[in-house]
Amino acid sequence: MLGTMNFPILTWITFLPILGILIILLVPSGKDEKGQELSKKIIRWVAVGITFVQLILALVIYLNYNPALAGVNNLKTFQFVEKMSWITATLPMVGNINIEYFMGIDGISVPMILLTAIICFVAVFPSFGIKKAVKGYFAMYLMLDLAMMGVFCALDFFLFYLFWELMLLPMYFLIGVWGGPRKEYAAIKFFIYTLVGSVFMLLVMIGLYHSTGSFNIIEMMNAANFRGDSIFGGLNTTIRYVAFMGLFIGFAIKVPLFPFHTWLPDAHVEAPTPISVILAGVLLKMGAYGMIRIAFPIFPDAFGYFQTLIAWLGMVSIVYGALCALGQHKVGKRDFKKLIAYSSVSHMGLVILGLASMRPEGTVGAIFQMFNHGIITAMLFMIVGVIYDRAHTRGLDDFGGLAKKMPIYTGIMAVAFFAAIGLPGMSGFISEVLVFLGAFKSYPVLTIISGLSIILGAAYMLWALQKIFFGVLPEKWQGPWDPTRLIYKTDDVNGLEMVALIPLAFILIFLGVYPNPILNLMTGSVNQFIEIMKPFVYIGGL
Amino acid sequence: MISEFGIILLYFILGFVFVGIALVAAYFIRPSHPNAIKNSTYECGEIPIGEPWVRFNVRFYVIALIFLLFDVEVVFLLPWAIVFKGLGWFAFIEMIIFVVILLVGFAYVWGKGDLDWERPKPYIAKLSDLVIGKKKQ
Amino acid sequence: MMDISDLIKSISLFKPETTLIVTFMLAMILDMAFKKSKNIAGYIAIAGLVIAGIFLFQQTGVNYKAFANLLVIDSFGQFMKFIVLMSSLIIIVFSFFSNELHNAHTKLGEYYTLIIGMTFGMFLLVGSANLIMIYVAIETMSISSYVLAGYTREVKRASEASLKYVIFGAVSSGIMIYGISILFGLTGSLNLFEINQFLSVNNVATLPLLLSGLMILSGFGYKISAVPFHFWTPDVYEGAPVTITAYLSVASKAAGFAVLLRFFKTGLLDSVPGTSEAWQLLGNIDWHYVIAVLAVLTMTLGNLVAVWQTNMKRLLAYSSIAHAGYLLMAVSVMNDNGVSAVLIYFVFYMLMNLGAFFVVQLIANKLDSENIDEYNGLGYRSPVLAVCMTVFLISLAGLPPTSGFIGKLYVFSSVINSGYIWLAIIGVLNSVVSLYYYAKIIRNMYLRDVESAKTKLVFSPVTIAIVLMLAIPSLLFGVYFTPIVEWANYSMNIFVGN
Repeated sequence: MLGTMNFPILTWITFLPILGILIILLVPSGKDEKGQELSKKIIRWVAVGITFVQLILALVIYLNYNPALAGVNNLKTFQFVEKMSWITATLPMVGNINIEYFMGIDGISVPMILLTAIICFVAVFPSFGIKKAVKGYFAMYLMLDLAMMGVFCALDFFLFYLFWELMLLPMYFLIGVWGGPRKEYAAIKFFIYTLVGSVFMLLVMIGLYHSTGSFNIIEMMNAANFRGDSIFGGLNTTIRYVAFMGLFIGFAIKVPLFPFHTWLPDAHVEAPTPISVILAGVLLKMGAYGMIRIAFPIFPDAFGYFQTLIAWLGMVSIVYGALCALGQHKVGKRDFKKLIAYSSVSHMGLVILGLASMRPEGTVGAIFQMFNHGIITAMLFMIVGVIYDRAHTRGLDDFGGLAKKMPIYTGIMAVAFFAAIGLPGMSGFISEVLVFLGAFKSYPVLTIISGLSIILGAAYMLWALQKIFFGVLPEKWQGPWDPTRLIYKTDDVNGLEMVALIPLAFILIFLGVYPNPILNLMTGSVNQFIEIMKPFVYIGGL
Repeated sequence: MISEFGIILLYFILGFVFVGIALVAAYFIRPSHPNAIKNSTYECGEIPIGEPWVRFNVRFYVIALIFLLFDVEVVFLLPWAIVFKGLGWFAFIEMIIFVVILLVGFAYVWGKGDLDWERPKPYIAKLSDLVIGKKKQ
Repeated sequence: MMDISDLIKSISLFKPETTLIVTFMLAMILDMAFKKSKNIAGYIAIAGLVIAGIFLFQQTGVNYKAFANLLVIDSFGQFMKFIVLMSSLIIIVFSFFSNELHNAHTKLGEYYTLIIGMTFGMFLLVGSANLIMIYVAIETMSISSYVLAGYTREVKRASEASLKYVIFGAVSSGIMIYGISILFGLTGSLNLFEINQFLSVNNVATLPLLLSGLMILSGFGYKISAVPFHFWTPDVYEGAPVTITAYLSVASKAAGFAVLLRFFKTGLLDSVPGTSEAWQLLGNIDWHYVIAVLAVLTMTLGNLVAVWQTNMKRLLAYSSIAHAGYLLMAVSVMNDNGVSAVLIYFVFYMLMNLGAFFVVQLIANKLDSENIDEYNGLGYRSPVLAVCMTVFLISLAGLPPTSGFIGKLYVFSSVINSGYIWLAIIGVLNSVVSLYYYAKIIRNMYLRDVESAKTKLVFSPVTIAIVLMLAIPSLLFGVYFTPIVEWANYSMNIFVGN
C-alpha cells in the first residue's frame, strides 16, 4: 500500500505544477523552421504532461485509498498524512505559535482530488486555442491547479487559507487577461466577492487559533480542545453563531449560494472556455467542500441553529437558478454560457440542500453531486467553447439545425444535457435521487418544491438543445466553419476536443450505471461526519 | 481654594479687565476732534513716502541666521566655563567636540560662499536684446 | 542627578548616534572637498549607516536609561532603529538611480547629509523618554524632512509640498508642545518615568489629562499621518521626490509609532511590567478606545480616498495612511502582543512599500510621469518589473502568500485576542476596499493597452536586482516568517525601568 509508504504523494500531487511553472518560464521564445512559435508548442505540452502526471497520481491515490478508514475528525484514520512543523515561534502570552504543514485525505477529499485532476487535465486541451501570452496563461493555469489541489489536501487551517487565497490572483488574471469584452469588470467582481468571503474566514481562523492554540482543523472539531475562557469556548454562544455565519458566507460566496451568486454569471460569461470549465468544475466545489470540512464540523451547534435557514437557501438557489436559466430563453441577449452558469447555481443549491438534510444518503448524494456537477458542467462549457470557437457567438438565437452539420458533437452534447437534467442512466440521476431521498426525510416541503425545479431544468436544457441542434440551419452557417480548412479540417468536433470530451462522457455514463466506485469512497467518512453532527442537528426520519 | 492654575486664570482675567477699564475710561474722558492731519500715520508731520512693506535683501537673513548660531554657541560656553574647573579634562574634550561640530558648520557656510557679501548684478539691457526673435540670455 | 559614570556609560551606548553625527559632518566636508564626485556624500552615508548598524547590533540585550533618563536604550528601540536604518540605507541606494534628483542638482551632498540628519533625529525619537527630548527629536527629523521634501526646488509642486509640510508641522508641533506643557503642569515633570510615578501615586483631573494626551497625540499623529492629522500627507507625498516620499512613508512612520508606543507604555502604564495581559493605563481614561477610533478613521479614510486617485504617489500616500490605520489598530489593543504585531508589520511594510515606491521611481525615470495610466501594458513592456510590482501590491493588500498577509495576520490576531471583534471586522472590510485600488494598478499593468507592449522598457540590471532584492523577501517571508516573529517577540518589551 502506498499509504503506508514514505512517498509524500500529496505533496507531489499538489506541488507538481510548480515544476511545470518553472519549466514554462524557462522555455525560451523561438520559432521553428515553419515559422511557428516553438515555445508555445512546448509550453502547451508541458502543461499536458504535468496535468497528466497529476491525473496518474490521483488515480494512484484513488486505488490505494482504503475506504474503511473514515477520517473527518479522527487523525488516525486519515490517509497519506504528511505532518511536519512549519512555523514555530514563541509568543509569551499566547504560547507557542505553531503552524504545521499538515496534509491528509479522507473520503470527502478523495473524490474532489480525483475531480480536480480530471478537470485540470481535460481543460488543458481547450486551452490550446489561447493565442495571447501563452507563457503567462499556462503559468497561471498551473498555479490555479496547485492552489485547488492544495485546498483539498490541507488539514491545517493556515495552509488551507493560504491555498484558498492563492487561487484568487491566477483566477483574476485568467479572467482579466484572456477573457471576453467585459473581462475587467468580471475579474474584479470575482476578486472582490471572494475576498470579502475569505477575510471573514481569516478572522474566524484567528479566533479559532486563539481558542484552541493550533491551526489544526481536526483538533478544532473537538469541543474539548477549546479553552473555556476563549472566544469560541462553550457551545451555542452568540459569537459562535456569528463566526459560523462568517465562515458560511465565505464558503457560500464560492458555492455560489443565493443571494451571493451574482459574481458567477459575469465570471462565467467573460472567462475563456477552459477557465469556465475549471471555475464550474472545481472552484465551485471548494465552497461546499469548505463547509463539510471546516464550517459544519467545527461549529456543529451553530449549524444546528441555522440548519433550516441553510436548507431554505439551498432550495431558493435551486429554484432561482433554474428560473434564471429558463429566463435566458426569454429575455435580453440569449447567452448559452449564462444559461449554464445559472444551471450551476441551481445544481449547487442541490448540494447545499443535501448537506442541510444531514441524512447519510443526502450527504453522500451532495458530495456525489459535487463530483457529477463538476464533470457535467465542465463538459457543457467545453461544448459551448467548441461552438464559440467556430461561430464566435454564444447567442442561442444564432444557431439551429446543427445536428446535420455536426453529428458527433450533437451526440456528445446530448449526453451532457441529459446528465445535467438527471436522466436515469446518467450519473446526475443517482446523485439527485440520493439528495432528494435524504432531504425529503428532513425537509419534505422544501424537497418537493426543489423537485419541481427539476422539471424546469429539463425545460431549459431541452429548449436549448432543440434550439441549437434542430430546426433550420441559419443561412450564414450553411458553408463550412473554416472555408480555408486550415484550422478546422472538418465541420464536426476535432480530435483534440474529442480527447477532452469523450472521457468525461464516458465517466458520466459509467457512474450512472455503476456509481459504487465513487460512492464507496465516501460512505465511511460521511457516516463519521454525521456522527459528529448528530447531537446538534435535526435529522428527519431517525 | 483655587488651584495654581486657577490663580493664573485669575491673573489673566484681571489683566484683561484692567486694560479694558483703562480703555473704556479713556474713551469717556478724552476729547475727540479727529481731522486729516491727526489721522495720518506720523502725526508729528513726516509724510510717508512709498510702501511700508519694503523687501529686505535675503542676505541679511542669512547673516542673521549664522550670527544666531554662533551666538548660541557662546551662550553654551558660559555655563561650561563656570563648571569647567570641577569637571576637568572631560569637559574640555566635550567642549572641543562641540566647537568642532560648529566649526564644521562654519566651514560649510564658508565653502558654500554664504559669507560673501555678493552685490546684486542687475542685468542691463543691450541693444542686441531688441532684435526680434533672439532670446534673452 | 547625573554623575560622571552614568555619563560615560551613556556615551558608550550612544555610539550609533555618534556615528551618525560624524557621518553627517564627514559627508558635508568631503562633499565640498571632492567637487567632481556627485554621490560621494551618498557613499559616506552608506558607510556611516553600516557602521552605525554594527554599533546598534552590539547593543543587543542592553536595557539602560541613558543621560539621566533622557534616552532609553532597549531592544524595542533597537528593533525600530534597525527599521529606520535599513530604510535609510535603501533610500540612499534608490537615490543613486533617481533622475529627478540628478536633473535638479549638480551635486547631491546636502541631500545625503540631510538624510543622515533625519536618521539621527529618528534614532533620538525612538529612544526618547523625556517630553522635551521627544520634541527636540521630532523637530530634528522634521526640519531635515522639510528641506528634503522641497529638494527639487525648481519643481513647483515640490516647493508647495515643502511649504505645506512646514506649516502643518509647525501647527501640530505647536499643539503638541502645548499638550506637553499641560502635562508638565499636571505632573510637575517632563520625564516619562517620573510622570508615570506621579500619576500612579496622585489623582489628577481626568479632563486636562485627556486633553494633554490628545494634544501630544497630534504631534505623533502628524508623524504617522493618522487622520485627522493627515492633511499634509497626499500633497507632500505627491510633491516630494519619490525617494523622500518613500522615506517619509516608512522611516518617519516607524519612528512615530515607536514614540507613540513608548509614550503610552512608559508614561501611562499602571502595572508591573512584563506580566500584564493588557496594559492598565493611568488616569481613568480609556486610551484603547481613543486609539481604536483613530485607527478606524485613519484606515477608512485612507482606503476610501485612495480608490479615486490617479497619481501613483498620491495613491500610495493614501494607502500609507490606511496602513497607519492598521498599525494603530495593533496599538489600540495596548498590550505586548500589539507591540509585537506592530514590529512584525513594520518589517514587511518596509519591504513592500519601499519596493512599490522604487518601481514608481523607475517608471517615472523612463516615462516622466506618475500617472496610473502610464502603467498600462507594463506587464508586457517590462515583465520582471511588473511581476515585482504585483508582488508588492498584493503584499500591500495583504493577500497570501506574501509577507503583507503575515503582517495583517498578526495585527488582526492581536486585535481578536483582545476581544475587539468589531475593530477586526472594520479592519478586514478595509483591506477588501484596499484590494480594489491595488488591483486597479495590476489591471492597468496586465489588462490594459496590450498594443503598447511592442515598445519595451529596458531597465539597468542593477535596478532590477534591487527590485528583486525587495520583492523576493516579500514573498519568502510570506511562507516562512519564523525569524521575523522571533526577533519581534524578543524585541517587544519596552523598557520601563525597574
